Amino acid sequence: MIKFVDVSKTYPNGVKALHGVNLEIKDGEFVGIIGLSGAGKSTLLRSINKMISITSGKLYIDDVEISSIKGKELRMLRRGIGMIFQSFNLVKRMSVYNNVLTGRVAYHPTFKTVFGLFPKADKLMALESLDTMGILDKAFTRADQLSGGQQQRVALARALTQKPKLILADEPVASLDPITTVQVMDDFAKINRDFGITVIANMHHVDLALKYATRIIGIKEGEVVYDGDSKSIDDETLVQIYGRSLRHDEVLGE
Amino acid sequence: MGVPCVTTKYLVSSMSKITLTNGKTVTKPFNKIWIVVAVVALLLYLFSLLIPFDSSTVKLEELKVILIKMFTPKGNRTWEDYFKYLLKLKNPLIDTLNMSFAGTIIGSLMALPLAVLAAKNIVKKPYIYIPARTIMNLFRTIPAMVLALIAVFFVGIGVLSGIIAITLFTFGIMSKMLYEVIETVDMNPFEALESTGATKTEAFRYAVLPQVTPVFVSYLIYIFEINVRSSTILGYVGAGGIGSVIKDNILYNYDRVGASIILMFVVVLSVQLLSSFLRRRLQ
Repeated sequence: MIKFVDVSKTYPNGVKALHGVNLEIKDGEFVGIIGLSGAGKSTLLRSINKMISITSGKLYIDDVEISSIKGKELRMLRRGIGMIFQSFNLVKRMSVYNNVLTGRVAYHPTFKTVFGLFPKADKLMALESLDTMGILDKAFTRADQLSGGQQQRVALARALTQKPKLILADEPVASLDPITTVQVMDDFAKINRDFGITVIANMHHVDLALKYATRIIGIKEGEVVYDGDSKSIDDETLVQIYGRSLRHDEVLGE
Repeated sequence: MGVPCVTTKYLVSSMSKITLTNGKTVTKPFNKIWIVVAVVALLLYLFSLLIPFDSSTVKLEELKVILIKMFTPKGNRTWEDYFKYLLKLKNPLIDTLNMSFAGTIIGSLMALPLAVLAAKNIVKKPYIYIPARTIMNLFRTIPAMVLALIAVFFVGIGVLSGIIAITLFTFGIMSKMLYEVIETVDMNPFEALESTGATKTEAFRYAVLPQVTPVFVSYLIYIFEINVRSSTILGYVGAGGIGSVIKDNILYNYDRVGASIILMFVVVLSVQLLSSFLRRRLQ
């Protein structure tokens, strides 16, 4: 369970990205975060695995207050949280298999991982994650030879190999075409359903968020302006989140 | 009037202002490269005034004489002696290649940690990367020849002083070239690795190193090529190898100097061909 208590984030340049955020996200939820660019979606997401540190308030993950943790404790927290990025963030020159195996790095001492030494069980885990994502046949291909959709699946396999309880996705489909987008979103739904992994995703396309997420959090100027069931959201609420009616590029339009 | 009709016909009214047929104008900014060209040309002219040039001192016949002395056997020696001497150069040649190879490898390995410390995107602390850069700049200001001279003082005449000189020279340029490569690396995978709970060292190993390795190897081969060339000169100050042979014979045995030059030419050319072949394979 993730709990935000009066969380705020002000960047060193004075930008207030989050302002008094209170949230509670239960295990197994599929949460879609929507809002304008610069509303604070990314900051909200990245504060959960402390890729960004909050400036005030308290943030609990499974009753552990994370704003004060650092070093080994922080790394232990992060290894249980998978993260998916807009630009996939794979090591392009490395094979798909080696990319996925990096999901296990934090489970072993540095002197072993630096020499590329992983237990057999970990290697099997990496291959099984690739199988789950349906790209086992690409295991020994170089990552940059795959299409965008396939690369995002490799990133998902890397996250799965961490054996996470939670996956954070920062605009996971923003650089994919509409058809691949649906396939990758289906993969998220599958992971959420079959493994009970909590998914929190920032999404640019509102209709996509409404379709896949069970819960929607609307952010406007660093504040939560909507939090509720994705089915009960109406046009009026969307206008409230976006401050205007939606533009055609904010819906995928199926 | 016989002028071919072009859809985007434009009139050049001045050097920088272009008027389209529909009346719109765009202004092309002045290209600053011409200032640079003018300054360089001026400097070149001014420097040329400083060079005393007297056509009477140029003696093409002398050039011919020395070339003949170098590439024909001396006195009562035969062509057979000349070619036999080439074979005798095997040991100093091995010394030259040895110090280039050892120096390149040791110097490059030493450069790797310093390059990491100097890279702003990995080490974000100025009190680390600024001293690291100062160290590499310091080594780069000292010519390999001077490094060799200093090394000869410490370890005496021989290959070892050559290896030390080449190592330090390689260390200087490799660390500089490498840190610039590290700074242009794609940092997104590094962020991804950190998000999995990896330490900075681990993130560097898995996200940065794979991107740097092919460039590192390519530089390694290229610097080896440079070192083979410069190590021949190092023999002059006592670092051993082919250079010492040239030094020992330069006053009396032009034919032996010539033979050494031919050998070096063949070796350097082979190393260059091998180097460009290997580096192309790395792409």
